[in-house]
Amino acid sequence: MDWEVVFESVPLIWKGAGATVSMFAWALVIGTAGALALALMRLSASKALQWFAIGFGWLFRGIPLLILLFFAFFALPEIGILFSPFLAAIVGFSLWTAAYQAEVIRSGIIAVPPGQSEASEALGMTKWHYMRRIVLPQGLRIMVPPYTGNAITLLKQTSLATLVTVPEMTLLTQRIFSNNFKFIEPIFVLAMIYLAMTSVLLILSVAVEHAVSLKV
Amino acid sequence: MNSLVQVTGLRKSFGDLEVLKGVDFDVERGEVVAIIGPSGSGKTTMLRCINLLERPTGGRVEVDGRVLCDELDDGTMKFAEKGDVREIREQVGMVFQRFNLFPHMTALDNITEAPRSVRGLSKADADALATGLLESVGLGHKADAYPLQLSGGQQQRVAIARALAMEPAVMLFDEVTSAVDPELAGEILLVMKRLAQQGMTMLVVTHEMSFAAEVADRVLFIDHGVIVEQGPARDVLTDPQNPRTRAFLHAVLDRAPMTEDGGSAAGVGEESGFGSSDLFTDQAAADPKAEPADG
Amino acid sequence: MELDWGVVVRSWDLLMQGTWVTLVLFFLSLLLGTALGLILALMRMSQFRAVRWLSLGYIWVFRGIPVLVILFFSFFVVGRRLGLTPVQAGILGLGFSAAAYKAEIIRAGILSVDPGQAEASEALAMSKRHYMRRVIIPQSIRVIIPTYMSNSILVLKVTSVAVAIGIVELTGITRQLSNSTTRPIELFTAAAGIYVFLTTVLVVLQEVLERRFALKT
Repeated sequence: MDWEVVFESVPLIWKGAGATVSMFAWALVIGTAGALALALMRLSASKALQWFAIGFGWLFRGIPLLILLFFAFFALPEIGILFSPFLAAIVGFSLWTAAYQAEVIRSGIIAVPPGQSEASEALGMTKWHYMRRIVLPQGLRIMVPPYTGNAITLLKQTSLATLVTVPEMTLLTQRIFSNNFKFIEPIFVLAMIYLAMTSVLLILSVAVEHAVSLKV
Repeated sequence: MNSLVQVTGLRKSFGDLEVLKGVDFDVERGEVVAIIGPSGSGKTTMLRCINLLERPTGGRVEVDGRVLCDELDDGTMKFAEKGDVREIREQVGMVFQRFNLFPHMTALDNITEAPRSVRGLSKADADALATGLLESVGLGHKADAYPLQLSGGQQQRVAIARALAMEPAVMLFDEVTSAVDPELAGEILLVMKRLAQQGMTMLVVTHEMSFAAEVADRVLFIDHGVIVEQGPARDVLTDPQNPRTRAFLHAVLDRAPMTEDGGSAAGVGEESGFGSSDLFTDQAAADPKAEPADG
Repeated sequence: MELDWGVVVRSWDLLMQGTWVTLVLFFLSLLLGTALGLILALMRMSQFRAVRWLSLGYIWVFRGIPVLVILFFSFFVVGRRLGLTPVQAGILGLGFSAAAYKAEIIRAGILSVDPGQAEASEALAMSKRHYMRRVIIPQSIRVIIPTYMSNSILVLKVTSVAVAIGIVELTGITRQLSNSTTRPIELFTAAAGIYVFLTTVLVVLQEVLERRFALKT
C-alpha cells in the first residue's frame, strides 16, 4: 500500500461525506416518521390500516434497496416523476427505513407488559394519553438497540447511492479508481471513514441505551 | 339508596371456556367484601369485569348508579361509551397482583400522573396529594425512588396510594399480596385494614383467610364461575354450609391454621393506634427489619 | 404512457438467468458465511484473549463498513491478485460480510443455552468438544433459526449489490434490459416481484423450520 496515495485520497473522498451524512439524516427523519405511522396503523383497531401496514412492510422489506433506488431513479421518470439523483436516493432510503423501523417500533410497543395499559385504563387515562406518557417511553428502551442497528445499516447503505450517481464518498472513491488506477489505497480510506462513522453511531447507541435504562 | 356496586347475571367466556356462569351480588357503601375461591375459579375475572378491564359476555354491571354494561333482550351486550367508562373508572380504584407501577417514573410521579391528566389537578396540588398519600402508607421518604428500587411490599403500597389519589368510591384489590414475599405481605394488609376502618368500600380477592376473617364484612366463595356461598365473614369462614366451601377451607387452612379470633401466621397487625388517620402506622415503618435495605 | 407487460414475457429467459446467478451468489456466500461465522463465534468464546479479540475485531470491521466497500476490496484487490472471476470475488466478499453477522447470531444462540447443560455434561465427564457438539449446539439451533433466517433474507437481497462489480445477476440484467428496451417500470417491477417471491419463500421456510425445531412438550 502506497501511503502517499492514501493521504492524497483522503480529501478527495472526504468531499463526499456531506452528501453521505445528509442522505442518512434525511432518510432517518422521514423514514422514522413513516415508521411510527406504520407501527400505529399495525396496532390500530382498523383492519384496513393493519393490512396496509403489513403489506407495506412485506413489500419494502422483500425488495432489495438497490431495486428501490433504481426504480426511483430509472422508472419513475417514465411516468413524469423526475427526481434528482439525490432525491431519488432519499426516496428509496426513506421507504426502506420506514419499513424496517416500523417493525422495531411495533415490537417495542408490544413488549411493554399489558399490565401497564391496564393500570392506566383503571386510572381513567385516555388511550392517547397513556400511549404517549406510559407505553411509548417504556417501549423506547426496548427500541434503542435495534433502532440504532438499523440506522447503522442505513448509513452503510447510503454507499449504494453511487449506483444512481449521487456524488457521495463511494462515487468519489470510484472516480479515483478510474483516474489513477489505484484501488487498495482509496478503498482503505473509504473503509476507515465508514468504520469511524458507524463506530460513532455505535457508541452513541450505547450512551442512549444507558441514559434511558430504568433506575434500579 | 342503591348499592354502590350492583352485578347481575354476570357471565364471561374466553372462547369456548366459560369462566363466569352468572354471578349476582351487590356491594353497599362502606362494605368490605372478600372474594375467596380456588385458583381458576373466576374471582379475578369477576373483579376485572367491574371496571371493564374484561368485557363481560353477559349480564349487567352498575357502579354508583351508572351502567357499565347491560345485556339487551336479544342477548347482545351494550357497553357504556368510552368517555363514560373513563368517568366510571375514576370512581373505581384498582390494585393489581403484580403492582403494574410505571417503572420509568418515580413513586411520586406514579401517583400524580392520573390526577393531573384525568382530574386536571395542578402540579402543586397533585404533588401535595401524593406526598400525603405516600406518608399515609408509610413511604413518605420514598417519593423520589423508582419502582425497581423498592421492595415488593413497598411497590404495592405505592400502587395503593396511586389508586387512592383518584379519590375513588370503591377499591378493587386483586390478590395484592400474592406476588410479594410472605414477610412483606403484612405491611400491605395493614394499609388495607386501615383503609377499611376509614370506611372505604372494598372488594378484595384474596388468599389471606385471616385478613378476610378480621377485616371483611362479608365473604363470597366462588368456584367454577358461580358464587357457591356467601355471608358474614365469620359464618362462612368458621362454619361453612356448602361442602365445596368446607373442602376449600380445609385445604387452605391446613397450611395457615385459623383460630376463632382470626389471628394467623400472616399477621394483620395489632389493634393499636387506630385513632390516627394514617393508613400505616408505625408497626412496620418503625421496625427496620420490615423495610429491606435499599437497592 | 402505456405499460407494455409483454416486455417482461419477452425478457423472461434473461431474467431467469439473472435469478440463477443471484441464487448461486446467495447459496455459496451463505455457506461460506455460515462456516466462517461458526468459527468466529467459537473464537469469540475461546479461553485465549488474543483469539477473542481477533474475532471481535473482524466482526467490528466487517459490520462497520458497507458491503459495497467489501466487494470493492474482494474484486479490485483480492480478486485481481488471485485472478478470480467477478462471481468468485462476489461470493468471497458477500460471504466474508455475512460471516460477521452469522457469528453474532450463532454466539447469541449458544449463550442462550442454560449453563446448567454444560455443568451437567461436565459432571458426566464429557469433553468440551463433545458436549458442545452433542448437547449445546443442537439446543441452540432452536434459538438461532429465527435470527439466522431473517439475516439470510438480508443476504439474499444484498446480493443485488454485486451489480457494482459487474456481475450480471438479477438486478444487473434488469438494469441492462431496461436500458435496451426503455421499459424500466415493467422490468424493475418484475425484478421486485421475483425478489419478493424469493424472500417470501425464505419466510415460509423459516416458519417450517421453527415449527420443526420447536421443543416437544
